[in-house]
Amino acid sequence: MTELAQNLIDGLGRGSIYALLALGVAVVFGVMHLLNFAHGELITVGGYVALWTLGAGWSWYIVTPLIVLSAVLTSLAIERVAFSRVRGSSDFTLLLTSFGVHFVISAIFLLYVSASVKPFDRPSWVTNTYSVGPLNIEVYDTVVIVVTVLTLIGTTLLLQRTMFGLSLRAAAADFDTARLMGVRSDTVIRGAFALSGLLAGIAGVFWLMRAGSISPSAGITPMLKGVLAALIGGLGSLRGAVIGGLVLGLAEVLLRSRLPDSIASLTEGVVFLLIALLFIFRPQGLVTVKHAVRV
Amino acid sequence: MLEVEGLTARYGSIAALRGAALSVGSGEVVGLIGPNGAGKTTLLSSIAGLLSPAEGRVTFEGKDITGRSPEQLLRSGVALVPEHRRIFADLTVEENLRIGGVTVPAAKRAELLDEMAERFVVLKEKWDVPAGYLSGGEAQQLAIGRALMSAPRLLMMDEPSLGLAPVLVDLVFELIGTLRDQGRTLLVVEQNAARMLEVSDRAYVLRSGEVVASGTGRELSQRDDLFDTFVGSVVAPDEGLPAAGSPVANGAGGGTA
Amino acid sequence: MFPRPGRDVGFPVAGCALLFAVFLAGGLIYESFQGRAAERLVTVMLIDAIIVLGIQIYVGNTGVLSFGHIGFGAIAGYAFAVFAISPEEKLKRIPDAPFGLNDVLLNPALAVAVAIGVTVLVALVVGIGLARSGAESGAVAATVITLALLFVTHEVARNWPDLTGGNRAGLTFKVGAALDSRLPIYLCLLGALIVARLFAQSRSGKLAVAAREDNLAARAMGVNPLVQQTAALLISVAVVSVGSSLRVYENGSILPDDFFFNYTLLTLAMLIVGGRNSVTGALVGVAVMTIGRELARRLGQDGFEVFGLGLDAAPLDWIFRENLQTVFLGLAMLGFMIFRSEGLLGDWELDSWLWRLWHRRKPETQPEPLAEVAPVGLHAEVPHEGAALEAGDIVVDFGGFRALDGAGLSVAPDEVVGLIGPNGAGKTTLVNVITGMVEPAEGWFRLGERELTAAPSHEIARAGLLRTFQNLRLFDALTVRQNVELAGRVAARHRPGRHPQADALIGEAGLWDVRDRRARELDYGSARRLELARAAAMAPTYLLLDEPTSGMSDAESNEMIRRIRHMAAAVDAGVLVIDHDLNFITGISDRIYVLDQGQVISVGTPDEVQADPAVRAAYLGAESDTQT
Repeated sequence: MTELAQNLIDGLGRGSIYALLALGVAVVFGVMHLLNFAHGELITVGGYVALWTLGAGWSWYIVTPLIVLSAVLTSLAIERVAFSRVRGSSDFTLLLTSFGVHFVISAIFLLYVSASVKPFDRPSWVTNTYSVGPLNIEVYDTVVIVVTVLTLIGTTLLLQRTMFGLSLRAAAADFDTARLMGVRSDTVIRGAFALSGLLAGIAGVFWLMRAGSISPSAGITPMLKGVLAALIGGLGSLRGAVIGGLVLGLAEVLLRSRLPDSIASLTEGVVFLLIALLFIFRPQGLVTVKHAVRV
Repeated sequence: MLEVEGLTARYGSIAALRGAALSVGSGEVVGLIGPNGAGKTTLLSSIAGLLSPAEGRVTFEGKDITGRSPEQLLRSGVALVPEHRRIFADLTVEENLRIGGVTVPAAKRAELLDEMAERFVVLKEKWDVPAGYLSGGEAQQLAIGRALMSAPRLLMMDEPSLGLAPVLVDLVFELIGTLRDQGRTLLVVEQNAARMLEVSDRAYVLRSGEVVASGTGRELSQRDDLFDTFVGSVVAPDEGLPAAGSPVANGAGGGTA
Repeated sequence: MFPRPGRDVGFPVAGCALLFAVFLAGGLIYESFQGRAAERLVTVMLIDAIIVLGIQIYVGNTGVLSFGHIGFGAIAGYAFAVFAISPEEKLKRIPDAPFGLNDVLLNPALAVAVAIGVTVLVALVVGIGLARSGAESGAVAATVITLALLFVTHEVARNWPDLTGGNRAGLTFKVGAALDSRLPIYLCLLGALIVARLFAQSRSGKLAVAAREDNLAARAMGVNPLVQQTAALLISVAVVSVGSSLRVYENGSILPDDFFFNYTLLTLAMLIVGGRNSVTGALVGVAVMTIGRELARRLGQDGFEVFGLGLDAAPLDWIFRENLQTVFLGLAMLGFMIFRSEGLLGDWELDSWLWRLWHRRKPETQPEPLAEVAPVGLHAEVPHEGAALEAGDIVVDFGGFRALDGAGLSVAPDEVVGLIGPNGAGKTTLVNVITGMVEPAEGWFRLGERELTAAPSHEIARAGLLRTFQNLRLFDALTVRQNVELAGRVAARHRPGRHPQADALIGEAGLWDVRDRRARELDYGSARRLELARAAAMAPTYLLLDEPTSGMSDAESNEMIRRIRHMAAAVDAGVLVIDHDLNFITGISDRIYVLDQGQVISVGTPDEVQADPAVRAAYLGAESDTQT
């Protein structure tokens, strides 16, 4: 019982980060039908910002907003340079374009920084824990969960209460009709990339705090988690993305602690197997999104 | 107010419009009728910027608006109620209306929102319900209300009575009549020719992408060959158009009241 | 009829041999100038080519982007290594290998066979999930699954040191460091070329391409995309397995990172740049990218400066070289996606080009002039089964909108029945229900004794209900002839009795002169006629035509009527035709159903229906009280 509760807290902490990443992926997918494989690069860029600024002796309190800002700006820049040129192209083209962006960015870091993993200082409290009854709770997990909840509330308010959020949701549901209403496609797409960057930036701060290091290929894992979580939740559904992220995080933590030691290191493989099974029996993901197809 | 000249449009290799021309004057209600596949929707889509026409020119209030994007066009004062309504099913009624007013300043938007709540009582009752749960008639009112939220100077409607039960069809035409009485300028594509002619000042008949007839509602509704135009029959029906006998008030308010 | 030995086997094999010769000659010439330094480059290029061809079989024919093939390659590579490494060597590297693999030793050829077997087995499981999610949520979902596969194989390889030697050590073995002779590589490359090319020409390949071009239309013609995509995946993975085994053999070792993102990028870039839909293109892409990378490498090697940042410090040199190549790859991929997404060659194939050259000199004679002879070429005498098409009580709801409200109809085998009604009456929805594309909330339909209500689209098509689409769904990238022949291939498998000759149908549709044009280049009328011919090629029991004359002038419509009648009679099919044009319907139909508001409001002969006041009311929207 205690172990389960412990796992749930750990899983929520991990799942929260995935949820933020997945939400960012889903926001962009909604308006552009683009699955952004370069989403992880937003964290990579943030990581190098952290490396340089922390290295210069700045504190995490200053570095944190800088990481988020760099992710937003990178997201907008990627849209401007690459994705704006392939709007409305086939899925195939969109997917490979984002794959190409991923490579160019990581190659730039390889070329002008270094291929090696560079460590930086983590905030001192990351490894601290406190006890609630029999549970050992990490300060880090607590902060992650609280900030994620706040971020999700903020995002919900943005989407529900502002004209921009409304435009974004309308465009995701039916882009052409949204344009007929006067929603500017540039505004809504760039806005989606900015929001996506913001969410990735927040997730990135936590990711980097825990990792304590950065390398050119550091973005791959968070990108994959985000994309997978969005897919598990049901592509195109924002709520699904959040659910998918939490489910993925919980599944990983639970499996890692429950699997026999001999295969515990293969958790990723087992998770993939479960995902494959999910798609065999429920190919549309957890949350169904209706797509009207006119014949 | 709106002038369309020599509009030709293609869907891939399909010539859906062959040099269509029409004009709409300020304060006029103009019907655009014709059989399925005649190019009516294509014509509206070309005007609204959803399609770029291969040839031809569209001017609105003296400005050339050919090939403008839909979002630019809306800002020029032309709104379209699309075919099949295309309401945002996951958004609430209020949100659907608000998105319609995305181009107007916030204060004006709030004002228009109140106006819509007043005008569409059924919608007021379902203000916070996702629009996907509305009935066909309610959804059509929402679609029209949504377009009115941008305070357009020209409102175009594509098949507003499509797929509605007869009593709701009445409602839609009543609404068109009301809008007309308020002096709004409307261009309405409608399959329901008889009813459309009752409420329009003038109408154009489109067939195979060309305008084959035009005139006032009364003139057109008295033409026996209209049924033939619609269904392509070579055998003239032996009775007059059923609607021709009903009183059509050409200048004064909606005929269905 | 299929496969035709010359066109589908002879020319492709000869073309592959020619391609192989040119490709190899290029490599050998470079080698002769550069000496031993280039030897390895050429070997690597040959192996890359095998793997890229393997990927092409799946990506090219199904149109689904796969990041997972290198993951499959990793599985094959490890399987090969584990079985080919000597027990002594394994004792050093992986003393605790599971499943008693420590004592196993196979000769390399057998080890490759095992690698293929293991990988194909994994691919079968993954393939089902892939095809199902792809069918449900689109190609994007399938792509993510392949990406996850790549990632997971990498994770497992890193974290299962007992089997793989883990991240650092990897599996190393000596069977003579590299291959003693390149002969096996040559043979495998030639084999991969031929397999890829023959698969594209095979029934399975053609059907997969049809589904790639238009999934819905393919299903409406009796193609089950799930089966074809899985077939493509398995063959593709088998070829990739061979290439990966060779790669491991040649390297003499395998590490998790050997088969991960960078190699995926390289192979995909090669495929994309050359043209993913063509075997020739894949090979050209390998050549172009190898040359490009070699240039990039040598620029880096010579202390080349980029943007004033010269990295001539010796320790950094290799990093610079490696990474310049990655930048080059990434930019090449981006550039091609943005500016020329179909690649250099598109779907141009060497052997098809040769075939056309050959036939330009020997012009084909048109098998029979249009109308007069055509019925002879078709199977007019085969007696039909006499199965009636019946449907009843069909209800369809779209959200709150009831599109069909208890509609039904019946069509007798040699009848032509019209289905008319105003816009939004539910005509197309009814045909969608009968062809399995929309699931009705209530109701039933059957063909003769056969209940088809819950059957999937492709089975309905195989049962003999063939449709055309209101907004034209052709296989755009295929030629007129390929469009029609494709239907013939499905018919040959699933429709009993004799089938109409593809060429005769093309002639009948008036498309003989444009038979080698791509469907997307056709004018509207021709495209409509092609869709009709394609449906007729399935030897249908019933043709369901959705607005076959929409957008046509009156003269064109009349011509179309004549063709429909003629073609239906020739293939002995009943016809259900949707139209809004009563004139057209009168010209073609024996009986007419009139639909309004999702219900049948009138049935009868054209005259009866025209005289029915309910019909006039439905069309003109008159008040209902004027009816009698």
